[in-house]
Amino acid sequence: MKLLTANRLNDGRVIYLGEADTAVEAIDAARILDADAAEAALVLAQSRPAVFVNPYLIEVEGRAPSGRDRLKESIRSVGPSVGHSLAFVARNETA
Amino acid sequence: MYRYDEFDAALVRERIAEFSDQVDRRSKGELTEDQFKPLRLMNGVYLQLHAYMARIAVPYGVMNSRQMRQLAHVARTYDKGYGHFTTRTNIQFNWPALQDLPAILSDLAEVEMHAIQTSGNCIRNVTTDVFAGVAADEIEDPRPWCEIIRQWSTIHPEFSFLPRKFKIAIVGAPKDRAAIRTHDVGLQIVRGEDGQTAFRVFVGGGQGRLPHIAQEIASAVPGQSLLAYLTAILRAYNLLGRRDNIHKARIKILVAALGIDAFREEVERQYAILRQEDLRIPDEELARIQAYFTPPPFEALPIISPAYDAARRLNPEFARFTRSNLREHKQAGYGAIIVSLKPIDGVPGDVTADQMEVVADLAARFSFDEVRASYEQNLVLPHVRLEDAHAVWSRLREAGLATANADLATDIIACPGLDYCSLANARSIPVAQALSRQLADADLQEKLGPVRINISGCINACGHHHVGHIGVLGVDRKGEEYYQITVGGSPDEQAALGEIVGRSLPANEVAPAIARALDRYLEVRTDGELFIDTVRRLGADPFHTAIYEPIDAVA
Repeated sequence: MKLLTANRLNDGRVIYLGEADTAVEAIDAARILDADAAEAALVLAQSRPAVFVNPYLIEVEGRAPSGRDRLKESIRSVGPSVGHSLAFVARNETA
Repeated sequence: MYRYDEFDAALVRERIAEFSDQVDRRSKGELTEDQFKPLRLMNGVYLQLHAYMARIAVPYGVMNSRQMRQLAHVARTYDKGYGHFTTRTNIQFNWPALQDLPAILSDLAEVEMHAIQTSGNCIRNVTTDVFAGVAADEIEDPRPWCEIIRQWSTIHPEFSFLPRKFKIAIVGAPKDRAAIRTHDVGLQIVRGEDGQTAFRVFVGGGQGRLPHIAQEIASAVPGQSLLAYLTAILRAYNLLGRRDNIHKARIKILVAALGIDAFREEVERQYAILRQEDLRIPDEELARIQAYFTPPPFEALPIISPAYDAARRLNPEFARFTRSNLREHKQAGYGAIIVSLKPIDGVPGDVTADQMEVVADLAARFSFDEVRASYEQNLVLPHVRLEDAHAVWSRLREAGLATANADLATDIIACPGLDYCSLANARSIPVAQALSRQLADADLQEKLGPVRINISGCINACGHHHVGHIGVLGVDRKGEEYYQITVGGSPDEQAALGEIVGRSLPANEVAPAIARALDRYLEVRTDGELFIDTVRRLGADPFHTAIYEPIDAVA
């Protein structure tokens, strides 16, 4: 199965195509796509360049990235695995 | 340091206005991503894994406290409260929103900073010796020449669309502290036969997929003719460099394909037909630029500072810091302090907004308002009175900036890797952190002496792994992160590419493997022999054995 992902135009953040063709930030809210739906989703995202920048499809098992790019897509889905961005997220969640 | 004149200020303001319009049109959907990409890249804006990334130029690594404070302001206002210093002595912000970019550039313009030519196939930020104007072995301060090249190359109409990016580095001393032979063009200041300033010129260096050490093309180009000679090199490259294959488009490939002698002939042919009078640097203009870099008003101090010596005697931790992070200054009674951006378990090159402000305060109070960024991803306070060194250290220590590891094993150079970069194959930062933890013992690091470890998350080699004494390259093996280790690389006047030690290792085996290689060095070195000299003497074999024997024994 597949998900559609892209970067969001206004802030570059990672987004996925969710239910009702919305853009969602959480991979858990992404719509799981079979082969036919995936191609249609790609066409749809390409037709909405004000939201989806460089849309493409990723392979998933459930909603976990699989296939060759699984590590990259896992990091994209949760953010950097280390560093100050992580501390920033933790601090803001605590606050 | 250099201050903008009305032309610099106008140019930067005009560029911001132009880019603001482009951002606005992109936001409204009037420009596609394909149309916008080359425009944003001209202004240092990338689209990385998680967000846009803005790369800000720090010309030849020199900043004042006001600029550093403004970088802190940008980090805090538009980003996540930190920035990342790169091996090109620039600073990157990892999280800016598209519509904030004009405001960021406008705020930076207030302190004479910009992002022009921090990306794209043009002449990038010129780098130099972080100890320019400090080091006693210097023939001449290279910074005025950096500034001249900066002005000449900024929005140069002929060289804004080269086959690929183009990097220049300059040193003013025989000791190469700017890795000039890993650059497209490396310049070393020498004395010409007439006793005047001249440049030994190296060309065709570079890392990446096909690494090359630059070769000497000229032994003494007169200073006055430097821009003409650079123009001839760029013109030859622009005309003959490949544009059909991005992996073969750098000048290193052209120089290697033609051979240095044929390339030199081509450059000399171009040089002969240049309008020399347009490119000759007038004496009065050189003097005007040099005046910006006159030494600060140093006090006449004795070579020895009793207060400094006493502090070293009384405080072993401070003494250790001075041994590793304080460098001699040509001015008696002063030293240059390396501010480590490599805390144990930290992210190499990262600095928080709070830390930037601490460094800005220290620069203003103790270092004639000057701070430098080094290509090793540290900061330097270049002109500190020895008697102030303890006070500076104390404040740095409070701020987590006083790790005593400059040029030691945990002073690791690393690219952002797959945690941020869309080109990376593997993560760099976690490997750097694991190594940092493994080698954290300060006594061990001092015993090991200078060892440079470089980590790149892909073959583009932003972490300069090819020229690390120990290099680590992340590779993708069927979706898994593996790391290839090299030894014997060197970025200095004995520049060399590292030799691959053996098969690549999974991430968790890298730090223990390198620790074993360093243990082996301690066993086989002769008295006073540096790690790199041991590798040069013995080759990679002893390190191969140290790294792989325990792994193979288990397998």
